[in-house]
Amino acid sequence: MTILLALAISLCVAAGTWLLLSRDVFRLIMGLAVLGNAANLALFMAGRPGGMTPPVIVEGAATLAADAANPLPQALVLTAIVIGFALLCFGLVLAARVSRAHGHSDVGAYQVSEPQASPGQDATKPPLMD
Amino acid sequence: MDATRPSHPGERRWLAPALLPLGLFVALVWGLNVQDLPWSWSVPWIPSLGIELAFRIDALSAQMLALITGVGTLIFVYAAGYMAHDSRRGRLFAVLSLFMLAMLGAVSADHIIVLFLFWELTSVTSFLLVGFNHEDAKARESARQALLITLAGGLALLAGLLLLAQITGSWFLSGIVQAMPAHTADPRLSWAIVLVLLGAFTKSAQFPFHFWLPNAMSAPTPVSAYLHSATMVKLGIYLMARLDPAFNDLLLWEILLIGVGTVTAVWAAVLALRERDLKRILARSTVSALGTLTLLIGLPSSQAGLAVITFLFAHALYKAPLFMVAGNIDHATGTRVIDNLMGLRRVMPWTALAAILAGLSMAGLPLAFGFVAKGFIADAKAEADLFVMIGYALVLVNAVAAAVAGVAAIRVFWGPPAAPLARVREVPLSMLLPPLLLTLVGIEFELFPHLADPLLLAAAQVISPGLDSSADYAGVAMQQLLTASAITLLTGLVLFLAWDRIHKLLAEVRWLDRWGPEAEYQHFLRGLGRLAAWHARIMQSGRLDIYLRLLLAGGGVMAVYALWQVDLKLAADFDWHAHGWAWLVALALMVIGALAATFMRERIAVLMACGLMGYASALLFLFAGAPDLAFTQFSVETVLVVVAAALLPAFALQPQTVRSAAGGTNVRLLLAASAGVVSLLVLLHFINTPVDNTLAQWFGDNSLSQAMGRNVVNVIIVDFRALDTLGEIIVVVFALLAARPLLQAAGDHGDQTPRRASSPLLALSAKPLYLLILAVALWILLRGHNEPGGGFIAGLAAVTASSLLAILVDTRQALRWQLLAPVPMALIGVALAIAAGVIGAVWGPGFLRHLWFGGLSSVMLFDLGVMLAVWGALTGYVYALLDDPLRFGDDHSRTNP
Repeated sequence: MTILLALAISLCVAAGTWLLLSRDVFRLIMGLAVLGNAANLALFMAGRPGGMTPPVIVEGAATLAADAANPLPQALVLTAIVIGFALLCFGLVLAARVSRAHGHSDVGAYQVSEPQASPGQDATKPPLMD
Repeated sequence: MDATRPSHPGERRWLAPALLPLGLFVALVWGLNVQDLPWSWSVPWIPSLGIELAFRIDALSAQMLALITGVGTLIFVYAAGYMAHDSRRGRLFAVLSLFMLAMLGAVSADHIIVLFLFWELTSVTSFLLVGFNHEDAKARESARQALLITLAGGLALLAGLLLLAQITGSWFLSGIVQAMPAHTADPRLSWAIVLVLLGAFTKSAQFPFHFWLPNAMSAPTPVSAYLHSATMVKLGIYLMARLDPAFNDLLLWEILLIGVGTVTAVWAAVLALRERDLKRILARSTVSALGTLTLLIGLPSSQAGLAVITFLFAHALYKAPLFMVAGNIDHATGTRVIDNLMGLRRVMPWTALAAILAGLSMAGLPLAFGFVAKGFIADAKAEADLFVMIGYALVLVNAVAAAVAGVAAIRVFWGPPAAPLARVREVPLSMLLPPLLLTLVGIEFELFPHLADPLLLAAAQVISPGLDSSADYAGVAMQQLLTASAITLLTGLVLFLAWDRIHKLLAEVRWLDRWGPEAEYQHFLRGLGRLAAWHARIMQSGRLDIYLRLLLAGGGVMAVYALWQVDLKLAADFDWHAHGWAWLVALALMVIGALAATFMRERIAVLMACGLMGYASALLFLFAGAPDLAFTQFSVETVLVVVAAALLPAFALQPQTVRSAAGGTNVRLLLAASAGVVSLLVLLHFINTPVDNTLAQWFGDNSLSQAMGRNVVNVIIVDFRALDTLGEIIVVVFALLAARPLLQAAGDHGDQTPRRASSPLLALSAKPLYLLILAVALWILLRGHNEPGGGFIAGLAAVTASSLLAILVDTRQALRWQLLAPVPMALIGVALAIAAGVIGAVWGPGFLRHLWFGGLSSVMLFDLGVMLAVWGALTGYVYALLDDPLRFGDDHSRTNP
């Protein structure tokens, strides 16, 4: 069963990378979201997920049952989910702002800080040097 | 005359630097009288690499040392006079002294690394000296040219020396020479020879690396006289001479040296006839002399060593004075172009005398040391079996040398003045004595040979061990020599008389400027610049999507390489029912969501698909025994969708789909597929490596007993790893603070009409609903320690509540009902969390070690802080975006794309 999980995660990684390479800045951010999700799942998978029993010590017992889920990756993933989410919010706002400022959302044309060489410029020198 | 003109007041002081070379010279002479050669001295330097600071002075080195310090003394004196009115002389003397020391080190070094070090040091100091007049662009260019060529040669030299060390097993020059006869069959030897010779040829300006030397004439004359006639350019010759005993029997060595030497000698001689600048003429003839020296070293004759050493010596003794004469002329008249210089002997008699004496030696006339040198050369040639052509070529070379001597000595000083001489004065004493002294030394050695004999012979024996030590001047076949000299001198006379006509003829040869070695060098540099610019344009295209592709491609290559190195274990079980149908459903939904997001056309559809993927992973968490995670993921995904949907209008300026170019799609597909495959391999390998559950075990065992909590995940987060969580909420708050400038509108947000809910029922129920959800959030917070729940989930639930209120009524109301503004609430949350830790520090074992008083504990405080931080940070986004997402990024801030 774990192999199915691995396959699913890989497919999500592929989909997320595809979105990340999109020329639409919104899809770029969504690609980040998908990749983040996939990463969280991969981390969760490290704990060898098994049964459905949550890692909660039952009444009467002093320690965690042997068949309960692994609590450590869960704690890590919880952290990761929240931080990833905060980053995504910031990313969305930033992307929206940049998109409004440029008047379009084509990533390939965001070049305010990277002037292109003008047509007549000396081809032996990199852009910006004359 | 004006030879006794009072010198510049500060001039006497500047004779002091000459004490350094003088002192060294005296020490050398004294040492030679006191102690027998060879002297060696060695001290460990980098023991782990076997590198020692090893020096060995034998006769050849001693000869060179005498030349360097002796000529150096006179050069320093000359420089004091030459730079009398120049404020930069301090710098000149400093670098000249450094150069001299480097030169001394290079000719006495025994360890090959030490040799290489001093070799490069001479290149660097030469660069500084050639570029001394650094305001002049031509000087800078020439300095750079000299540096690039000699440094490139230096690298080749290093490689060659290292190869030699590997072949012979010795890191010492003396050891290499001794051990070489046993290793002549080694296949690497040819490479070593070629590389070492590359180094020597670049340093000694052999063809095709010769063109840097005439250009180096932009250096001040003392530098030209010292470096580029007497010392630095002789360094390559020295190295070849030192290695000659080891390689002289090898055909490759002979052919290379004789061939390159001859070509250099002839080529430079011909080019000398093309020059009009006196210094450049002398420079070309220096190159020609170096070519002759190279040729002589390559000769298999046993007399060759004597010829080499004598000519080397004689050349320094006549070329340096000639350069100084050129410097005097320049100093006095302001020009070096021979067209404008004639009849100077009337105003500069002493300079003329020095020029005549030096010219005698150069032309090989009797009475001068050059005569002796030519004698030995003839001897060596006779003994070797040279091609006849080379013999004739050398006659031509000598003839040109004689012609050059004529130009420098006679033409410039005799004849009717070419320009008015009224303002030309003889130069001061400090600039007259050095050239005169040098030429007199040359004459003295010719007339009283026993002074120089022992050292010369000893040095010659180092080069040609088979030399018959009874050879002396008397062994020169007078008859042959005189005949050869006569022919040479006659030809030289013809050339001298026809100088101008020949020059005009040669100046017509344009192809040399376009295709010659120097032109090739320029082409090469320009090509290098073009390559760099092309590369920069590709790699630094300024486009984010291209950068991303390059990043992912690079990362992919590294990942593949890493996987290649690892012993991959890819076994996997295909047990479908291990975890039940729920898993299958969750996984299927997840994949459907992710894949759908890739090809949806509308942005809102992409958003929905990503949301589906998120919910599906929440389902997975639920069915895999992670309820905390499931709740968190559900809430996070919900708020994310709300926020993103609120922002969508801000992206709505453009058509919904932006298509890449067709070729771009293939790369994209390739990169995405590779990323998927790599991650699959990594995950599979991952699963098959054994897992270490010690830590998880420990947490499970100690959660109740030490932290009074049943929910192990929550206990880890707020107790065992509380510090990490503290950092995490700080990050979340930071994300909001960083976004605030982006969220603030260009204009003011004073007036907004409160939105009305679409239905009265919803408006009525909004507030009670809010309070209900808030109550649930508090309940989640309180139960979190022992049941699934906790601060994060509580915070997210509260955010849901606030968002609901903001959507159904308006953000103002939501703000009021939240009681605190988002940013203050978030900061208070962080403060509470820190306070909880401080409690532990003050009253307990340490920071964030929680304390319990009955049922209360600082854990609760911490968790509350977490909840408030999350609630505040996220509502900060929500309110700003729900208000009017189009408001920010207004027309005022539009920049030109």
